[in-house]
Amino acid sequence: MELKTLALDLGLVGVLQDRIVSLAAGWYIDPLTGMRVFYDPNTQNFYTMAGGVYIPLGYMNPAPKQVSLGPGEKLKITISYKYSGPAISGAMERFCIGVYGTFGFNETLVGENTRSLPASTTPLSYTGSYTFTIPTNVGADWDDIYCKIYGGSPGVPQTLFGYENALIIVGKDPAISEFTIVDFAKV
Amino acid sequence: MLDIALTPMALTTKEFNAGDTVRVTVSFSYTVGINTTVRLLAGPYYTNIFGKHLVDPCVGRADVSLPAVSTPTPQTADVDFTLIPKSLGGIENGTYGLRVWVEGTNAVAEQDSVIIVSGNTGDGGDMFTSMMPMLMMVMMLGMIMPMTQQMGAGAEEE
Repeated sequence: MELKTLALDLGLVGVLQDRIVSLAAGWYIDPLTGMRVFYDPNTQNFYTMAGGVYIPLGYMNPAPKQVSLGPGEKLKITISYKYSGPAISGAMERFCIGVYGTFGFNETLVGENTRSLPASTTPLSYTGSYTFTIPTNVGADWDDIYCKIYGGSPGVPQTLFGYENALIIVGKDPAISEFTIVDFAKV
Repeated sequence: MLDIALTPMALTTKEFNAGDTVRVTVSFSYTVGINTTVRLLAGPYYTNIFGKHLVDPCVGRADVSLPAVSTPTPQTADVDFTLIPKSLGGIENGTYGLRVWVEGTNAVAEQDSVIIVSGNTGDGGDMFTSMMPMLMMVMMLGMIMPMTQQMGAGAEEE
């Protein structure tokens, strides 16, 4: 059975305490998108403003590629991130497949790794991965994924990143396309 | 820049005799999560003012096994159908379209006027059927005419 992969980049992950100290309330420019975002130190969240309303910055993004999966097949999700700060033990890398909707992310398949991050004064790159086996009762709408790193001692701030419609779930009913008559003749 | 769009080649019209068996070959791509079997059907159809109508007695069926695949995979399949003669409750001489479909899915392919059927014999019954409306009209006129003549004669007597 073919192993299929998806990769996500969580970006730079800092130490929870450092983040609280380093970011003050105010407007910032997202270096990736150039978008103006507002940081609220009380909720530790970034917000965008639309129509006079502050909206939490979304962590879900359009998937750069789609992977077709059926029951029994394996999906390997790989994340990468950078970390600098004191040594951290017991940080969690969490991998989820599920349904992203109005009320958030409904986690239907979950995998976790425990990570220890050594002390470093410069950002060091890390990768983590988890391999899921798609169950026979997989839903056709289990097409979203997200990953996060959080917790540990001392804790890292929860950092999330996800892709919408990253998976094409192949169910028990066949999906047929390009159906054409090639030829017909007397037998 | 050279831009070429490929479209499916139209089927050519073919002639058959009533009683012939016709083999249809189809191609398609599919995905399915588990090993499954689908039913492929094919048959001739005719068109009139009410739409398209399959000649049900001539529809053929074939089961096609589809191994589980999660990425679109090309597949070909054959299905046979027999042009059952009119005398056995089947198809009349004429020109028909060809329709092929997969039961329980939206996979359908068809083309008008590609099957010409001939060779049905003993069409006397068919001629009688086609002339029935005309005969009925003549018979009704035969009944109405004497009645109108009688009414005309009655008016003159008054």
